[in-house]
Amino acid sequence: MDIINEEIQRVPQVLGKKSFKKVTDIIAKPSESPAPKWWVIGLLGSMSLAALLFSLIGYLIWDGVGVWGLNNPVGWGFAIVNFVFWVGIGHAGTLISAILFLFRQKWRTSINRFAEAMTIFAVICAGIFPGIHVGRIWAAYYLFPIPNSMAMWPNFKSALLWDVFAVSTYFTVSLLFWYVGLIPDLATFRDRATTKVKRFTYGLFALGWNGSNRHWMNYEKAYLILAAIATPLVLSVHSIVSFDFATSNLPGWHTTIFPPYFVAGAVFSGFAMVLTLLIIARKIFKLEDLITIRHLENMNKFILATGTMVGYAYAMEFFMAWYSANQYEAFAFINRAFGPYAWAYWIMVSCNVISPQFFWFKKLRTNIPIMFVISIFVNIGMWFERFVITVTSLHRDFLPSSWDYYIPTWVDIMTFVGSFGLFFTLFLLFLKYLPIISISEVKGVMEIADPHYYDHHTEDKQ
Amino acid sequence: MTFHGYLCEVDNPKELVTLSKKVCDSGYTKFDTYSPFPIHGIDKAMGIPASILPWLSLTGCIIGLSVALILQIWTNGIDYKIPLSGKPYISLPAFIPVTFELTILFTAFFTVFGMFALNKLPTWYQPIFNNKSFKKATCSGFFLSISCLDNNFDEIKTHSFLEKAGAKNIERIEEK
Amino acid sequence: MSQQIFPKWANTLPIIVLIVLVITLGLVVHLFWYWLSPKHLNVGYQPKQPIPFSHALHVENVGLDCRYCHSNVEKAAHSNIPATETCMNCHKQIKTDSPHIKKLTKHYENNEPIEWVKVHMLPDYVYFNHAAHTTAGVSCVQCHGQVNKMDVVYQAKPLSMGWCLECHREPEKFIWPKEKITDLNWRPTNQINLGLQLKETYNVNPGEACSVCHR
Repeated sequence: MDIINEEIQRVPQVLGKKSFKKVTDIIAKPSESPAPKWWVIGLLGSMSLAALLFSLIGYLIWDGVGVWGLNNPVGWGFAIVNFVFWVGIGHAGTLISAILFLFRQKWRTSINRFAEAMTIFAVICAGIFPGIHVGRIWAAYYLFPIPNSMAMWPNFKSALLWDVFAVSTYFTVSLLFWYVGLIPDLATFRDRATTKVKRFTYGLFALGWNGSNRHWMNYEKAYLILAAIATPLVLSVHSIVSFDFATSNLPGWHTTIFPPYFVAGAVFSGFAMVLTLLIIARKIFKLEDLITIRHLENMNKFILATGTMVGYAYAMEFFMAWYSANQYEAFAFINRAFGPYAWAYWIMVSCNVISPQFFWFKKLRTNIPIMFVISIFVNIGMWFERFVITVTSLHRDFLPSSWDYYIPTWVDIMTFVGSFGLFFTLFLLFLKYLPIISISEVKGVMEIADPHYYDHHTEDKQ
Repeated sequence: MTFHGYLCEVDNPKELVTLSKKVCDSGYTKFDTYSPFPIHGIDKAMGIPASILPWLSLTGCIIGLSVALILQIWTNGIDYKIPLSGKPYISLPAFIPVTFELTILFTAFFTVFGMFALNKLPTWYQPIFNNKSFKKATCSGFFLSISCLDNNFDEIKTHSFLEKAGAKNIERIEEK
Repeated sequence: MSQQIFPKWANTLPIIVLIVLVITLGLVVHLFWYWLSPKHLNVGYQPKQPIPFSHALHVENVGLDCRYCHSNVEKAAHSNIPATETCMNCHKQIKTDSPHIKKLTKHYENNEPIEWVKVHMLPDYVYFNHAAHTTAGVSCVQCHGQVNKMDVVYQAKPLSMGWCLECHREPEKFIWPKEKITDLNWRPTNQINLGLQLKETYNVNPGEACSVCHR
């Protein structure tokens, strides 16, 4: 064990001999050079998709939920599927940041900022869907305990309300965590800025940070505490999302395995999404020295582990359906695998359970094109998982007379596509204007950051 | 022209730790060091007591927990009792999720805004920003400042003390 | 000096922002609690009626009881707007040359109802039973205000759910003897004592669960 630890310790976090100035230069480069062509085209494309999203939301509010493909037994369709999909993606960010920080996994420094940003943008996309799914959007304030003329309070015993609190707390805490991490880097950008607008904007959000070690003391404590409270928070959020399903009495939803199964699935999909985006960003911004192949390999190990857990959960659901001897439960699962939506089920199984198994081989999990393809497969598979859970459980009601087949309308599909537009708009803006790697943290884990380093290397200067 | 104190620079983290130890040992208290990242062990060298932030977080935690419980018990259990899902009006197990989330939320608020308060952030205008060389502090520079409000401070003696201690580029922090 | 990005007064901004934030939060709660409530939106609604019928004149001067026209109020869930025939009981003889009564007579003769504009509206998802309330001793005045003083009827009470609940939770603060409910000028000397006594006599036991009103 010690040998392995030592081996891990010895792999340098930053490849090559770099000075502090050099690290700042590399990370600040994208925000200081003129916008590349791909970025402008990408931003225009995703902004038009985001515009599509907002116009379809307008259409939905104007016309009512009838523009969606919902029917009588299937009252939860794309909106809930997309919500759970996006919230799931939003899990890797805080997990990478918080849990890996607590376990002193130094390799996290090169990817945490990136993953946290992804979390926040994914949760923004997620929050849209239940918001518009309420139907009468002007009554959405019922969700919050605001004194009103009905003398009514929210029902705190409802899983749907737990979800409101869980997701909004998760968003707020993730945002604070991300922003606190950003403050020193924003100050770095402020002090490098050449134009007045940049100096003002970065300066405004840097809050006058000056790098004082008296401040760093409180800052590090704050970051540690945030990490410590964010860790159980990450685990709680998707557990609570799973309660939306698990506390109901519907066969296929009413399962005690749901909370851990959802958390594993969320981490799985979140890591896959981070990986997809990271591979692209690493290539484009030439960050190969900071985001090393070892970082990517570690992420693939996470994907393998969580993917296998998800596969175990799929199997366990079937086992419970048989072992409980409950015929409704048994029907729900046989119907899932062989019923009208069998196509969706088998897409899910092949993407989520089979594709990550390739990561057992070191050759494959260190091969960038292969991990890119697998990460895309996992993203697709995890969307289908939510589709399978939501739609196949609902479409066969207790009453055969109300059985129906759910087909999304063009509005459903384009709203989902539009949510990717919003996500990538935010993401591209982030790539261009904010430090995508935590500058101060990367410096903190460099060898020359340790005062003891100079005991042996007197010839080195910073 | 208001004089605020001296600002000086060193080359690397190790020298900053050594210098702050010397400054601290000479009895200065109103001094500060600046670096682009937190330096391991510098708080001991500077003689800074441990941060009180965890206590603020704990306060936030307790407030969040109480707010959540009071809110739920009062709204669902006292103000308007509605029989729902066969649960008691005050059903503590059903209140766990929201209680947990609000506890975390309040702890996070107290931690972040507590940190802001302890560090007096935001302070957008600071006299030290008048020194051009100080821009390096967020990139690759290691600085130390001694405030003129310190009891041991003397314009000439402190200057020569810093020089002797190995500090470079000693500048005056001034404000018009 | 050019090194500074922000002027010195910028350091006071956090406090200003904090104050603005607290005020905004207060305003948001006020928005939902008052501005978006029937208290603000519906009270005082006073539509123009096709014939300027004055309740004040008919009750105070003529001395009609509410139930002369709204005859179903004690018997049915719905309290009726009187038929034109009810008006004609008197107006066949009285003030027949007034232009308004001529209009009324025309409606009567053509067998066409008068299109009165409804003032007090409850949403469709609320089941309200007039008979259940009047027989429990809820006076007309509790929900409709002093109609006997109104020349043109307006909505006097908010009719919001919270307002309904005030009485459902503490009926003793509001109920009167049944024979007094149409006497809109009458006031009890000791409401609570009377209310508690009547609650017992009339067996008043209003619920506040969802299905009491939303059936």
